[in-house]
Order: sequence, then C-alpha cells, then structure tokens
Amino acid sequence: MTTQTPTASASPFNDNDLQRLVEFAQLVTSVQDAMSDDMVNRLASTMSEGISLLDRLTRNDGLTHLLREIDRPENQRFIICMSNAFTQASRELATAPPLGGGLGGLLKLISDPGVQEGLRLLAFVGARMSNSLREVHRHGL
Amino acid sequence: MRILVVGGGTAGTIVANNLSRRLTGEIRAGKVRITMLSASDRHMYQPGLLYVAFGQMTPDQLYRDQASLLEPTIEFHVDPVKQFLLDKKQVKTESGKTHEYDILVIATGSRMVPEETPGMTEGAEFFYTEASAVKMYKKLREFKGGRVMVAVGVPHKCPIAPVEVMFSLDDFFKARGIRDKVQLKYHYPIGRLHTIENVAKWAKPEFERIGVDTETLFNIKEIDAKNKIMKSEEGTEVEYDLLIVIPAHRGMEVIERDNLGSGGWIPTDRYSLKMNGHDDVYVVGDTTNLPVSKTGSAAHFQAEAICENIASIIKIGEPVRDYDGKVYCFIEAGHEKATYAMFNYLNPPDLKPPSKPMHWFKISYNHMYWTSVRGLL
Repeated sequence: MTTQTPTASASPFNDNDLQRLVEFAQLVTSVQDAMSDDMVNRLASTMSEGISLLDRLTRNDGLTHLLREIDRPENQRFIICMSNAFTQASRELATAPPLGGGLGGLLKLISDPGVQEGLRLLAFVGARMSNSLREVHRHGL
Repeated sequence: MRILVVGGGTAGTIVANNLSRRLTGEIRAGKVRITMLSASDRHMYQPGLLYVAFGQMTPDQLYRDQASLLEPTIEFHVDPVKQFLLDKKQVKTESGKTHEYDILVIATGSRMVPEETPGMTEGAEFFYTEASAVKMYKKLREFKGGRVMVAVGVPHKCPIAPVEVMFSLDDFFKARGIRDKVQLKYHYPIGRLHTIENVAKWAKPEFERIGVDTETLFNIKEIDAKNKIMKSEEGTEVEYDLLIVIPAHRGMEVIERDNLGSGGWIPTDRYSLKMNGHDDVYVVGDTTNLPVSKTGSAAHFQAEAICENIASIIKIGEPVRDYDGKVYCFIEAGHEKATYAMFNYLNPPDLKPPSKPMHWFKISYNHMYWTSVRGLL
C-alpha cells in the first residue's frame, strides 16, 4: 500500500486562468482610462431619470390598465388596424384633390359610406368612454 | 390618520415619499392623509455645494422643484411653520393656517451660523449656501499663492466635509500649477484630526502624503479680518492669506423659540427616533440631537426606520424596528479618488484605500440622489 502526498504545486489556478485574469484586469484598466467624470455624470443622470420614469410608469394605474388592454389579442389587432389606417389615410390625403369647402363639400364627404363607417366607429368609442367616465366619477375614483 | 411632515429637505422628502408608497391603499381609501410643509418650493442637493466651491458643478445643477419630487398623493404647501403646539397636536404656519395631526414628523434641518463668530462672515470663505460656495470658488480662482488655513466650527453638518476640503484644495492648486506656492493647514477642535476615530487615523498619513500641516485642539474664537489673523479659544493665533471655515451649525430658530430643544436640536430617542416625551412626534435628520453625523445619509436611514414603524403602527398597531445608527458617507479624496465610511452605533467605520471607481460611485450618486429622495433607493 502506498501513501500519496499532495504536491506543492496544487494551485487552484493554471496558467490559462491567470492569463485570463490578467486580460480581464487589462480590460477593466482600459475602461477606467477611457472613461471620464463627464461620461459618468451623463450615464448616472440618464440612469437616475430612467429609473424614476420607469417607477412612475409602472405605478400609474391608467398606464397599467392600458398595457393590460393592449395585451389582449383583439386590441393588438386594433392597433395594427389603426396604424395601417393612418398609413393609408396619409397616402390617400397626399393624392386626393383639396376639398371645395362649403355645405356642398361637407354633404359630399359625409355621403361617402366609408366616412359614415368611420363616424359610427368614433360614436361607439365616444359612447363607451362617456359611460366609463360617468362610472369613474360615480365611484369617486 | 393625519401625518404631518414639517420640512422639505432630504429627511422630510424621503419620509413623505416612503410613507406614501407604503400606505398607498390606506391613502386611496381615505384612511390616511400625508401633508408636507416646507419653507421652499425648491429642493437643493446640499452635498453638491462642495463641488460648486471647486468649480466642478454649477448651482443650477443642485436644484429641482420640490413638487416634482413628491408622490402625487402628498398634499404639499410652501408655508413654513411658525409655532409648534404639541399639546394641542397642532402647528401654526407663517400664512396663519393651523394644521392638525395625529403623527408629526419634524425634519426642519439645520443652518450655519457664521455670524455668531466675530469676524467670520467678513474674514472667511465657506460653502454651505449657494452664494457662499460661488464666492469661495471665485476667491480660489483669484488666489495666487500663500497660506490657506482651514478651520472647523462645531457642531456642523457633514462631518466629512473638512477632510474633503483639504484633498480638494490640494488637487485644485495642483491643477492650477501653483501647489508649490500654497501652504495648506488644517485646524480641528478636538485632540485628533476627526471626530470619528478611524477617519482621524486614516486622514493623518493621507494629509502627510499631500503635504497638509495640522493643528488640533483649535476652536475658532474670532477672526481679525483686517489683519488676516484667526484666534482660537485655546489662545493660539494663526495668520492667513485665505481662510476657509466650516461654520458651526444650529437647528432651526422655530425649534429653539418653542423650547423643543437646546441649540435647535430636539432630544430624540436613539432607537425609536421619537421626540423624548412625545409618542406621536418623530424627529429625523439634522434636527435630532443624536450622536450620529448630520448628513443626508443618516437622514435617509433614519427615515426608512421611521416610515417602516409608522406604516406598521397604522397597519398592525405596533412598530417593527429600531434605528441602528447607520450612516454611509462618501469621502472624496481629491478630484480623482474617493473612499467611504460606513458605521453604526456599534461598529466604527473601516476605511478602504481611495480609488477611482469609488469616486465615480460618488459622482454617480450626485445624480442618483433624486431617485433616492423620491423614495426609490
């Protein structure tokens, strides 16, 4: 039976590890050399304002509710529709001739079925919103 | 439950915001109301004044609108307190209004009183107000060389400031290329270089390294501004070309006037932070008579303990913790390096060698302060 004695060179690091540590230290030194007080000031200021903004946003009931609503698939489709509508409306407006004005022009505009559909949508939203506002005020929220 | 916070400095603002966050449900349900009375509609980052005095910050960087720092549920009035009527659970304000409370938090802070030392206002520079910090910077810019004497009055706000001034002076004159023409000397009122023993031990070799002469047991008696001589209570005299002092401080006048505490410092229980003899009155920050530093950091840790206790008293009827005397002070060791001192009632600070990353931490904190007073950090 033989007894093994631990060797004196049983270091937890090998040459590769030490080389990496040296490289890491060089990286930290170079970052320190490259930074200035002014940079630190700007970064810290942005972080501070960013954290404060994030705090306000995450504790704002209105925004939290809005985010919850936006998460619903039908509302995501609504946002897609809305952004498509804005894009298309912008293009149509660019090519459409200017309106003549006057009552005649207005009558011509609202006799368009598409415009009537749009007005109906706005009326639905308005009705729901006024109901919701009435409820909020009734409960004193 | 009506909670009245008197004072809109670091301590008062953290208390009001922290309570508002902890008691959101109770406030919405109309069970709790938080009111703050402040002397100003602006909030100043006071540690920044040292940077103004050395041209590292401009005064506009030190201010924010107080209302912008407060939670929207806090009722805020710019209306300083004229009289405390603790027996009636009321305070009267300068505008003539009377505010009643169930819990009162006094955070009125402190003020320097250079006018109490003969000749100090005319003969010395200091940096505890915006105007005096700007004036000190201009004097330093004009200075061509000679004897710069630094002396310290007691008690004073920010106990680390005298040490930081010495390092800043050394770096400032080095940067201007006239360090060899300037003699720097530091005078301290007790028998060592700083009131905190480990800071004194740390400062001694550091001062020797940067060539700062020192004299202890030097209490400023008067300043002969005409002949540029500073005299001490101990009978010594020093001549100067530029004199920088840390003036003695007092609590606010209303505290003294209403006999709430000698020197404007209110006798406060060191653990519960309640005013002695008043179960419904808490004292926080510089206003206490506690044997801890008068710093924003002490105010911050005190505010946390007070808020946790007030909230738990409202919610479960009992306080849940004591203030342990915790203070965390950055120490700027010049314009490039810094270290820190952290201590409490039981454990003295153990100072580490100054480093660049600690300096960056400190200047980062100059911005993070606003996150801190909003009750986030």
